[in-house]
Amino acid sequence: MKVGKPDVKPDAPSHVKGIKAGNSKGNYERQSGHNPDGTSTAARSTGVNPKAHDPIDPSMPNLSPG
Amino acid sequence: MAVRERVTPEAGKLVDMSWDPITRIVGNLGIYTKIDFDNREVVTCKSTSSLFRGYSVFMKGKDPRDAHFITSRICGICGDNHAVCSCYAQQMAYGVKPPPLGEWIVNLGEAAEYIFDHIIFQDNLVFVDFCEEMVRATNPSVWAKAEKADAPHAELHGYRTIGDIMRSYNPFTGETYKEALHMSRIGREMICLMEGRHVHPSTVYPGGVGTVATPTLFTDYLSRLLRCLDFIKKAVAMNDDVFDFFYEAMPGYEEVGRRRILLGCWGAFNNPDHVDYDYLNMEHWGNEMFVTPGVVVDGELVTQNLVDINLGIRILLGSSYYEDWANEETFVAQDPLGNPVDKRHPWNQTTLPKPQKRDLDGGNYSWVMSPRWYDQRTGDYLALDTGGGALARLWATALANKVDTPYVKATGQSVQISLPKTPNTPEQTLEWRIPQWSNAIERDRARIYFVAYSAAMALYFLDRAFTELRNGVTKVFEDFDVPDEAIGCGFHEAVRGVLSHHLVIRDGKIANYHPYPPTPWNGSPTDSYGTPGPYEDAVMGQPIFEEAGPDEFRGIDIMRAVRSFDPCLPCGVHMYLGKGKTLKTVHSPMFGEHG
Repeated sequence: MKVGKPDVKPDAPSHVKGIKAGNSKGNYERQSGHNPDGTSTAARSTGVNPKAHDPIDPSMPNLSPG
Repeated sequence: MAVRERVTPEAGKLVDMSWDPITRIVGNLGIYTKIDFDNREVVTCKSTSSLFRGYSVFMKGKDPRDAHFITSRICGICGDNHAVCSCYAQQMAYGVKPPPLGEWIVNLGEAAEYIFDHIIFQDNLVFVDFCEEMVRATNPSVWAKAEKADAPHAELHGYRTIGDIMRSYNPFTGETYKEALHMSRIGREMICLMEGRHVHPSTVYPGGVGTVATPTLFTDYLSRLLRCLDFIKKAVAMNDDVFDFFYEAMPGYEEVGRRRILLGCWGAFNNPDHVDYDYLNMEHWGNEMFVTPGVVVDGELVTQNLVDINLGIRILLGSSYYEDWANEETFVAQDPLGNPVDKRHPWNQTTLPKPQKRDLDGGNYSWVMSPRWYDQRTGDYLALDTGGGALARLWATALANKVDTPYVKATGQSVQISLPKTPNTPEQTLEWRIPQWSNAIERDRARIYFVAYSAAMALYFLDRAFTELRNGVTKVFEDFDVPDEAIGCGFHEAVRGVLSHHLVIRDGKIANYHPYPPTPWNGSPTDSYGTPGPYEDAVMGQPIFEEAGPDEFRGIDIMRAVRSFDPCLPCGVHMYLGKGKTLKTVHSPMFGEHG
């Protein structure tokens, strides 16, 4: 079986500089439903239209899923 | 103390006895002894390892954020200890402190690991050496006494005589043996709840955890913990009865596996109220750990300062298959406090493997190096052992007198453990008192007390985690950026003792990485100063109580001594009796009778 020449050496590091890293500072603030004080809301349950998961009545508590 | 004279076999009465491998997960520990059967004594002992791992070699150049995933694979039983320790080192390097809830989740996972691992080792592996079948075969007179001896705590565990307890330890058929397997399963479930997976956690990262903190998560953990507590309360009473009986039935048994009290504990269970992973504050937050770090020499707590502990670590050669790294690069000349860092410190180590033939007669004979701790007071390079983990942890914590929680209290001479009422048993207060000796029996006894300790601490961690949840807090991870240049060190306790990871980052990659788990400390060979490693030291000069002669000899007392250090799961022992006669004793609960 013919295979192409590998582009990457087996011991290459898993991260290439310049590529966005999930652990980078500022990512917490960008996630829906995660409040700055460490609490969270129902919007945390999904990244797809997260606001739709907030309670339908504003007087209801906005609870984190689970 | 053992006599360390070299004795040649020509004396006639000395018999070579070897056990190789005494397996860990990947069988690599060998014990080579010369036994004087006339005087019933072990004369010399060498501890060897024939396996090279090379983690410190292939970690170089890797992304530091992979370190905990890779180093977790060092061990197939306590990989999570490595992952957590690596995260501690990385957190220091990245300057990130996980949110408290993340820290409680890690502590809960680690407490479950101690419970699971100590139980499976104690009841399924150590007690094979103390069970009816073994004692009946090796010491028939002791078995006869055991059958008649009343068990002092019969009302707690339900076994009338010591013989009944020993019968319950019989592999595959004994009640305790089978129940312990079940408990270790529950323990693993508890770890999986907190750390995603066992043995190699999937939700433990530097900066926190990926575990979703919900009330259900913690109640699931609590319900399992309560089931374990019923077993633990019974097990402590049974252990005390059996070990006390051994002292009584065989006067002098305290000499088995006995060595000078040289214990190291690097501390476990960080306290998020104090820890910030900053090296500059390491003395403070190290002291606030829920298992206090410390070096105990001759019963005295020499230091409980993690900075002193860190700077005192020396990796010596002497009997190991490596080239010296004296002329290699110095990665860390000074620690962040400005203290000089020795060339033989893990931060500055360069691993240069040099494979060669094993030479047990004055040459090199092991792939294990010789970690030692430099005692500034005396200038000695101390061959610390971990006492199988539990003994050093309890001893250092008791002497330091710092831990004070509703469930566990250190008193200066003991550790008090309060366990609540559980489905089948009333509430109980246990007290582990500092023993007279550092020997096989006390290492084994401490193990079950530390299971109780971990279970009690887990109750406290649950209280604190629930408090966070009730306040609506769900944050378990803190963002961080990887610096181009940094150093870090992590101090933790693997189940069987001290664990450190030392990390140097350059250009955003790992420039140097050295994990030091407990077995290199315990199983180290004789170093360049001529100091034997702890296994060697403990076995040399120990008396033999086994009643069989050389032909039927199983080496049970030596096995008890070596196993008391918990050299990772010893699941198979192949015994070589010289002159081509080989006995195989298989203790393998995982792989059936013929494993």
